[in-house]
Amino acid sequence: MRIKVGIVSFAHIHVVSYAEALKRIEGVELVGIMEEDRIRGPKYSEWFETKLFTNINDLLMQDLDAVIVTSENVHHKEHVIASASAGKHVLCEKPISVSIQDAQEMIDICKANQVLLQTAFPVRFNSSIIRAKEMIENGQLGKIIAVKGTNRGQCPGNWFVDVNKSGGGAVLDHTVHVTDILRWILGAEVKTVYAEVDNVFTNNLIDDSGILTMQFANGVFASLDCSWSRNATYPIWGDITLEIIGSKGTLSVDAFNQKLNVYTNKSGYNHSFWGDDMDEQLLRDFINSIQAGKEEASITGEDGLRALEVALAAYESSNDKAVITLKFH
Amino acid sequence: MFHVLIIGAGTMGKIHNQAFALMKDVKVVGVVDSNHDNKWMDGQVFSSFEQALETMNQIDVVDICVPTPFHLEYVKKAADAKLNIICEKPLARSVEEGQAIINYCKEKNVKLFVAHVLRFFPEYVQAKALIDSGTIGKIGVARTSRAGSFPQGLNDWYSDYQSSGGVILDMVIHDIDFLRWCFGEVERVYAKGTLGEGYEKLDYALITMRFKNGVIAHLEGSWAHSSFSMKFEFSGLTGVIAYDSAKDKPIELHAHTNDAGLGGVAVPESPLQTNPYYRELRHFLDCLKKEIDPLVSAEDALIAVKIALSAIESIRTSQPKWLD
Ligand SMILES: NC(=O)c1ccc[n+]([C@@H]2O[C@H](COP(=O)([O-])OP(=O)(O)OC[C@H]3O[C@@H](n4cnc5c(N)ncnc54)[C@H](O)[C@@H]3O)[C@@H](O)[C@H]2O)c1
Repeated sequence: MRIKVGIVSFAHIHVVSYAEALKRIEGVELVGIMEEDRIRGPKYSEWFETKLFTNINDLLMQDLDAVIVTSENVHHKEHVIASASAGKHVLCEKPISVSIQDAQEMIDICKANQVLLQTAFPVRFNSSIIRAKEMIENGQLGKIIAVKGTNRGQCPGNWFVDVNKSGGGAVLDHTVHVTDILRWILGAEVKTVYAEVDNVFTNNLIDDSGILTMQFANGVFASLDCSWSRNATYPIWGDITLEIIGSKGTLSVDAFNQKLNVYTNKSGYNHSFWGDDMDEQLLRDFINSIQAGKEEASITGEDGLRALEVALAAYESSNDKAVITLKFH
Repeated sequence: MFHVLIIGAGTMGKIHNQAFALMKDVKVVGVVDSNHDNKWMDGQVFSSFEQALETMNQIDVVDICVPTPFHLEYVKKAADAKLNIICEKPLARSVEEGQAIINYCKEKNVKLFVAHVLRFFPEYVQAKALIDSGTIGKIGVARTSRAGSFPQGLNDWYSDYQSSGGVILDMVIHDIDFLRWCFGEVERVYAKGTLGEGYEKLDYALITMRFKNGVIAHLEGSWAHSSFSMKFEFSGLTGVIAYDSAKDKPIELHAHTNDAGLGGVAVPESPLQTNPYYRELRHFLDCLKKEIDPLVSAEDALIAVKIALSAIESIRTSQPKWLD
């Protein structure tokens, strides 16, 4: 079955990688993109040799099976709901939304329209993360006790630092990935969150540094550094690391440490990643679910919502200087 | 000439003795240890402090390297004998005991130096110097890690948390003191950890500290790893300073244990003309000689105990703990 896909907005930095991956997947057609921005629109429709629409309804009127929503965080809700209402399956960039109510509404409307809603958590397709999950399931670490995680990066700038478009800074942007991975690997939900959040690294009035501590329902505790704390010339754009402590041993995961060390006069020291492309695997998985007629995406809207709850609880914790118990429990 | 009496002939006593042996103006006159099997200094091992005092006609400094719960007892004995004191960290098992140690030394007018050796590790000293000179701008997030296997002490005293205080009081206290040296006072602390409960020979903790100057710090302490490593990372407005002893190794021996070149363990070293323990003890003796204040005061050591115990309390209550 040939799958026809549209992309709603090129605002998010991940979208170029998604679009390129789509081009590599056999049996997939990029029918068109919706982009209101007058520079981005023509640029990317030309780049990916596809039709440009400046209005989402015009895109949704095309013969489409699925839509990838990669707009600014605050627009996810309207774009997902419009797509679902038009009967299209949706892959939505993380964070799924900026509020719990909005995310719940998106989930409900997708269900009512019997379309898939997948949250874009590509790290689940990182080969080292998959291997770590395997080792844990094989019992190689014994009982899991704790995890020390990081997802640090450079400040993405742009609309990410405008709270009216992003809904939040580093905490919202970088908490959801590792939270999702931990929920997935541990098979347990987060019970309490404590966080110290601040604004240090950027001049914008937005959170850019944070350390979260999570208590999982199965007794595991975890910390996460979600800060935009890498300076401009740091050799790598972002990271995902997990130090996993088990009763039988420890496991260190540095998910993007499949790299060459590159030294040039022009840009100093840089990393050149050669590992598997997790974005492509994410898209293949989404397309497969559509082709197989699955009733649920492999990473659901609820998964997106659970991770969002943790990020929002981190803000609340830092504000109140208190431990937050998640309402879900 | 400094005549030093070491109390405790275990791991630390031995390391201190090796450092003193390199100093021309120091003579280790003996070691006091309650356990006679554990001697590495022939003929100079005393079974009690009193026996050492009676036997030796000159002692200038007492260097206390016994398990933490015995620090107070030996501080009192040394202070009563009007001897200056070097004491291993943590200063004490409780704030009250730590305060009692400080008060007693003041009362008896003897000097008290607490061995927070991280302040003498050149990698840490240099990181602080770079931070202080503004190399990476204002600091936002500081991360430290100290990980190793469960320590071996006589009669397994580290497994008795009432004695050792577990990984936080015994290990993370190094990083607590170092971070306080860099960033000043701590406002609050939140921590999760095993507190040695439920796992034999394993302790692990993750601690978040908020400093009064705004810095957010994250500290990992582990007695759950199979090899030792220490790490730090400071993220500032204009750069990052990072160190990882497991990666930044100047020399590492891999000895073959059989002809196929299999087996054996890697033994890393960080050779220096003088090791940090030497530098620390040398500094304390120089402070005595020149009558100057040490780089780390007994009060610093007491505050580090207070912060470490606050982290432990945070684990017990599941709530953040404010330092007053
Ligand atoms: N600065 C560091 O890096 C560092 C490292 C390890 C330990 N320490 C500290 O040093 C101290 C000693 O630790 P260790 O690892 O050397 O312990 P250890 O168990 O190896 O040695 C302790 C020694 O003290 C003796 N001893 C015990 N109780 C005694 C008593 N009441 N009177 C006389 N002798 C007694 C024991 O027989 C043993 O020989 C502790 O406070 C510990 O926290 C510091």
